[in-house]
Amino acid sequence: MSEVLTSAATVPGGTGEPIIEVMDVSKWFDDFQALKDVNLTVGRQEVVVVCGPSGSGKSTLIRCINRLEKHDKGRIVVDGIELSDDIRNIGEIRREVGMVFQSFNLFPHLTVLENITLAPRQVRRKAKKEAQEKGMEVLTRVQIPEQATKYPGQLSGGQQQRVAIARALAMEPKIMLFDEPTSALDPEMIKEVLDAMVELAQSGMTMIVITHEMGFAREVADRMVFMADAEIVEAGTPEHFFQNPREERTKQFLAQIL
Amino acid sequence: MTATRPYVEEPLPPAEPEGPPILKIGLRRWLKENLFSTWFNTLLTVVFAALLAYATYKLARFVFVDARWEVVQRNITNFMVFHFPRAELWRVWVALFVLAAAAGLGVGAAGTRREAETAEGRGTRVAGRGLVFRRVAPLIALVVVLLLAARSLTAALLVLGVAVTAIGFRLLGRSLPARAFRFVVLAVLAAIVAAFLVIIAFGGVPWDDWGGLLLTVFLAVAGIAISFPLGVLLALGRRSKLPAVKLVCIVYIELIRGVPLITILFMAVFALGFFLPAGTDPPSTVARALVGLILFTAAYVAEIVRGGLQSVPTGQIEAAQALGLSPTKTTRLILLPQALRAVIPALVGQFISLFKDTSLVFVVGLTELLAVAEIVTQQPDFRAQGLIVETLLFVAFVYWAGSYWMSRESQRLEQRLGVGIR
Repeated sequence: MSEVLTSAATVPGGTGEPIIEVMDVSKWFDDFQALKDVNLTVGRQEVVVVCGPSGSGKSTLIRCINRLEKHDKGRIVVDGIELSDDIRNIGEIRREVGMVFQSFNLFPHLTVLENITLAPRQVRRKAKKEAQEKGMEVLTRVQIPEQATKYPGQLSGGQQQRVAIARALAMEPKIMLFDEPTSALDPEMIKEVLDAMVELAQSGMTMIVITHEMGFAREVADRMVFMADAEIVEAGTPEHFFQNPREERTKQFLAQIL
Repeated sequence: MTATRPYVEEPLPPAEPEGPPILKIGLRRWLKENLFSTWFNTLLTVVFAALLAYATYKLARFVFVDARWEVVQRNITNFMVFHFPRAELWRVWVALFVLAAAAGLGVGAAGTRREAETAEGRGTRVAGRGLVFRRVAPLIALVVVLLLAARSLTAALLVLGVAVTAIGFRLLGRSLPARAFRFVVLAVLAAIVAAFLVIIAFGGVPWDDWGGLLLTVFLAVAGIAISFPLGVLLALGRRSKLPAVKLVCIVYIELIRGVPLITILFMAVFALGFFLPAGTDPPSTVARALVGLILFTAAYVAEIVRGGLQSVPTGQIEAAQALGLSPTKTTRLILLPQALRAVIPALVGQFISLFKDTSLVFVVGLTELLAVAEIVTQQPDFRAQGLIVETLLFVAFVYWAGSYWMSRESQRLEQRLGVGIR
């Protein structure tokens, strides 16, 4: 593919000041290469939507950013800190990067509020009361403060995912990563989760979102990134991406999902 | 209204929301459908009813008419403590009262806290009034049997006193505010240590003079209390990324699981001397047997806990990591609570096993409950009269009361933690 098409991935949007820099990153799972020399720069307050067929390396890419996966080659710098084997660096980055998973991953043995206050208390060492106040604040932000004392198993999928967003927000992260946050939801619950994410994007949060919700992408994305076969195939503004995709693979993919 | 317009029917009450149909069938129909539906079923019912009636009759006749319970009654102190010096028996009573108070206080305070949590809208209610009775039923049965066996009014009053203390302190525990719970936990732990010290320290009676039920309970409680954390550490070690730690844990677990408990007990008691530096006094037999029981149980606990650890989805750990929790905190706050909750039935099963396996220490010369049952039939008054049936029945009952109580507590704990619900 041409350099021109993918170079759009390395120009930060948002405020123009880069907060995430992924440079020539490769990753293998045994013999399978999940990422091939991937370059991506995300600017402060930018919303980047990543899409692509399954197995294309989208999840691996964002999981490398908070070190749930270790990249084998290249460099990743998050908010000025380079991800290395230094445990302190990893801890520091994870404090600043919130993550929302496809399968929610709420802690089933803790109440909603306990789920949310756990990390602020244990990692940020906040006092119980302060953490609880912050917890109620973020729960109100995702519009389910009344569920605070319930257990995750008592909530609907949409509510659980909103709790997961609130749990990440309670750490007051600078960056939020979303790994297919609506893929495990029943259709009628997708909107409530997307609404929370739109609100978050409009508040100026830096976000990388893996999703196939193209309506959401059109509404809030500053930049679209299309991945296939472990590479970034094409990147650009939503208008450009949806109306004039240049790569054949992008066109095929869009034809299938739109 | 209806008086002036008699032709208008009373308005129908709003329709009740339709629930599932309730099937009510009479006893007669139930019997016919379940026990006498075919000639073959009828035959089975009759035959087994007859067998059951016969067995019940024989057992009841033996227990209430034929059995010579004198052997148990005259030896009740032997069954409880065996060669524990009689002059020091007050220590055991003091310990019993302290433990009863602690247990009552703990149960009461836990109840208050549970109510507070339910009021907050969290926690799973354990429903049913009969539950309280079912929970303590095995203990009540034990108290009743001990009262029947008590030979003096003093002993009977003391047994009753212990029971009343437990009930009284439960009321006290109920009246405490919910936030006092953590102090109550400390108080209960202190009471257990105090009860132990009252018996053994301050000029008390060393382990090797303990016997009967006292020894059985001590071995079981100490065994559970130490083998559980040890087993958890072994399970975590077996999953460690450090090859040395992992190897040590695997070798330990597989070695111990490959050897019968009796062998381990013999080795702990007779072979331990070889491993000690020359000249050191070997620890007492009770201590060595206890070490054997702990080493054995820890290996099994480790495998049970490992099963629990594997049942926790990776996503849980990833979520904890993504929030910035350290590996230690992830294990302590996320992994272990879920893993242990999943294996409560298996864990309690292992502990019930340990409680009963303490009877094996008789092979190394200790006189715990089961050994007493054998020994007392050798007494001049009871020799060669086949009284082992009576003593075994009594001992079996005591084991049953303990095991069944543990089993019920485990089921309660599961309900309380909502296992299978959330």
